[in-house]
Amino acid sequence: MVVAVTNLTYFLAWAYLDPRSNYVGRRPPLSEQQIVNLLEPRNLDDGTPLLVRWWNWFSGVLFRWDWGVSPTGQSVNDQVAYRMWISAELMLGATILLTLIGIALGVYSASRQYRVGDRVAQGTSIITMNIPIVVAALGLVLLAIAFNGAVGTTVFYVTGASSPGVSGFFPTLVDTIQHLTLPTLALVIVGYAQYHFLQRSLLLDNIKSDYVRMARAKGLTKQQAIRKHALRTSLIPVTTQVAFSIPGIFTGAVLTESIFAWKGMGQYFIETISKNDINGVVAVAAFGAVMTAIGAILADIAVVVLDPRVRVS
Amino acid sequence: MTTPVLSVRDLTVSFPSEAGRVDAVRGVSFDVAAGRTLGIVGESGSGKSVTSLAVMGLLDENARVGGSVRFEGEELLGKSDVQMSKIRGNGIAMIFQDPLTSLTPVFTVGDQIVEALTVHNPRMSRRAAWSRAVELLKLVGIPRPEDRVKSFPHEFSGGMRQRVVIAIAMANNPRLIIADEPTTALDVTIQAQILDLIKTAQRETGAAVMMITHDMGVVANIADDVVVMYAGRPIEQAPVDTLFADTRMPYSIGLLGAIPRVDTSEKQPLVPIKGTPPLLVDLPDACPFAARCPIVTDACRTAEPELVAVGGDDRHRAACIRAEEIRAGRIDGGPVYPLPEIPTSTLESVPRDLRNPTLEVENLSKSFPLLKGSFRKKKVGEVHAVKGVSFDVREGETMAIVGESGSGKTTTLLQIMDFATQDDGDIRIVGTSVADVKGGRAERQLRRDVQIVFQDPVGSLDPRMTVFDVIAEPLRTVGTPSAQVGPRVDELMGLVGLDPSHSDRFPAAFSGGQRQRIGIARALATNPKLVVLDEPVSALDVSVQAGVINLLDELKVRLGLSYLFVAHDLSVVRHIADRVAVMYLGSFVEHGEVDAVFDDPQHPYTQALLSAIPVPDPVAERTREHIVLTGDLPSPTDSIQGCAFVSRCPLYQTLDDAERAVCDTKVPALSGRTGVHVNACHHR
Repeated sequence: MVVAVTNLTYFLAWAYLDPRSNYVGRRPPLSEQQIVNLLEPRNLDDGTPLLVRWWNWFSGVLFRWDWGVSPTGQSVNDQVAYRMWISAELMLGATILLTLIGIALGVYSASRQYRVGDRVAQGTSIITMNIPIVVAALGLVLLAIAFNGAVGTTVFYVTGASSPGVSGFFPTLVDTIQHLTLPTLALVIVGYAQYHFLQRSLLLDNIKSDYVRMARAKGLTKQQAIRKHALRTSLIPVTTQVAFSIPGIFTGAVLTESIFAWKGMGQYFIETISKNDINGVVAVAAFGAVMTAIGAILADIAVVVLDPRVRVS
Repeated sequence: MTTPVLSVRDLTVSFPSEAGRVDAVRGVSFDVAAGRTLGIVGESGSGKSVTSLAVMGLLDENARVGGSVRFEGEELLGKSDVQMSKIRGNGIAMIFQDPLTSLTPVFTVGDQIVEALTVHNPRMSRRAAWSRAVELLKLVGIPRPEDRVKSFPHEFSGGMRQRVVIAIAMANNPRLIIADEPTTALDVTIQAQILDLIKTAQRETGAAVMMITHDMGVVANIADDVVVMYAGRPIEQAPVDTLFADTRMPYSIGLLGAIPRVDTSEKQPLVPIKGTPPLLVDLPDACPFAARCPIVTDACRTAEPELVAVGGDDRHRAACIRAEEIRAGRIDGGPVYPLPEIPTSTLESVPRDLRNPTLEVENLSKSFPLLKGSFRKKKVGEVHAVKGVSFDVREGETMAIVGESGSGKTTTLLQIMDFATQDDGDIRIVGTSVADVKGGRAERQLRRDVQIVFQDPVGSLDPRMTVFDVIAEPLRTVGTPSAQVGPRVDELMGLVGLDPSHSDRFPAAFSGGQRQRIGIARALATNPKLVVLDEPVSALDVSVQAGVINLLDELKVRLGLSYLFVAHDLSVVRHIADRVAVMYLGSFVEHGEVDAVFDDPQHPYTQALLSAIPVPDPVAERTREHIVLTGDLPSPTDSIQGCAFVSRCPLYQTLDDAERAVCDTKVPALSGRTGVHVNACHHR
């Protein structure tokens, strides 16, 4: 499946993107032969028949694990290998935080259904869920700049993943956190609400179930019964969804990375398209497909671990 | 007399709702003493379950509870959740209705029993708790408890899960066990096992038992004292013998008259209670039963009667101003409820052999393949859901198929309704073989003659269609001219006892019994010869059930219908059927005329099935011998060489080796008086 999708993307990319146009408007103008000389060794010359280009590319991937180069000659392999960790650095923390906050809030508001706490939490989540990431991110940037101005020193960096010239373990750690805080916050603010609502409704279904009443009849208090019996069963679908989102850590966040100038996978995706980097686009698509597949497998494993009913046979 | 374990005084429970405050329980008082069993009887909505949850403190938080509940002298109302949790599962244990949902699916049964133990004995070691769990499982009769303790609930059958629930209830030797309809979701043979087990649990722990049920038979079987509840109030309260022998309140009389009996052959009509229970919102100060009562007087509507002692017996109390006039269900020399008239059929005088068959089934079989493997499904075996079943239904006759769940009765019905062509047999409907039905036109033609009524009156009616559309749909399908549809729908509504002017309403506006009537009207729309009824009354309350049964009886006579009736309730079958077949694991084990089968059951399975049903008569119930079958229905995937019943057969246990060998190796065929009464047992 992944192979089919990747090859399809290759042809689609060639249908829409044109590496030649990168050079056409150059000053001084390049001659036709010069452009071909630039593109041909990179397997990006549309003068070569498409099938031949495809085979060159595909055999490279198949036999040498070489995903090709960009129009400027950078290796796609290197780019992806480097950028996925940048993305992971940003997304890992955000995913963990928003999952934990979402589930915790879900449990909190489900066990206080229709009381003030539940209503406030729900109202807040509805608002944050509907804030576009761009608005959230830019709002945070403005706030951070104002904060930095008020304190008089740069506490939060609003661009990039790290400052140049920082070395040593603790300085690097502090620097990373300074860069990470804002994009992470932005992602968490817009992302946690989905888990909040999912967990809340699932848990409410289970709180009313017979086995929670049975657990209370055994002598557990309501809170104990909810935490032990209702939560465990209602976590199954939530975990499935979280497992699905884990590979998303590596594929990155397109808008957030662009706004905060993180050179991660999401930003790479935009960059490759705008620079007619066919090999890069295809690699991003293939990477996404593989990650989705891994997510599905992870979700299945999670269900098997959590739900004994699936384990039989 | 010692102080009662539980003493409830003037308990009231109300819930807020959109329609106003719902008074679910309105002044309930009773005592339960150690070692005794109190039965609380009532139909759905009578407040009996709410009462039990109020005692446990498990009601929703928006419920308002008043009055007093004292457990061993200690007031329970007003205690916090934390304080109540010390008592729940320790002093008071509860058994819930549905064993399939009352165990947490993701924990092993051992974990769940251990949890009940350790939550009240924090110092109990894990090892001690686990060995106690195994001991409890052994006590409730679960085979191989050492292995089964590590199993998850889905690996148990319904009856086994209820045993686990009872084991949890018994875990801390409670002084009071509350059982809320513990056997309603189970088959009769399993019900008998569970009732026995509750009695065992009571003997072991010396606990008081509060048994909540709608089944008068269960009450007669297990209870010492009875409270009958109606519209949130107790309306009659007495020791069990007094209540059954000298019923005073018209509602209790009606409840007893509405249930068919499995142990008598009289064919008089059942006595339904007209109408439906009142909504518990803004009740006027009048007898809540007045609207349905056949002996209502003006005085009944002026004030709600108090529960007072009747007949000079302090223990027998009834809430009816005419209670002193009523003696043993009769008033002024006549019955409280006039017997409804049911016309008799002219067909009944025609001998059976001369009547035309409407349905002939010959050697019907159905098997499902068992598949294995995740990518390529390989067939690894077959499940024989139905194995070589043959019978016929004649004009004006009711044929019933009874059996436990999983016996194949519904599959048999569906095969007939599907017009499934048989490899080695045939289904003929009014003389037409289904093998000859080719093409949609011929199939629709045949479909007119056979219609079905489903079990669940809620699920079988499209909630987005008006009743008119529901009933008109089959008419339009068979191409009735639209000018005739309207009058025909009105006629059908009248026929099933509904007001034709209500046909523009949606099904949600009707009660369960009325909805089942709509389902019957829909089935009758095309003037069928044969109506297939799949458990048509099992989802209804007893007083409503009687009305539907009488309607079916009446329609059969008036329209000359034949019924093929599937039920697990043998009392209903005895009442309505002319012929009956007992099904076990896909085959008939006994088949014949209903009185012959019920009065003189031959097959050990039929005997057990009949004896397992509690009859609503405490005196008879005490002397009746119950044959309690051990174990569950074997899985249909097992391949059984000889008689399928061997694993549970009480007769098999008494046989010598040579006789057993026959059972083990040879599949028994139906034998006996052909057409009258046959059974499939080698030794009967």
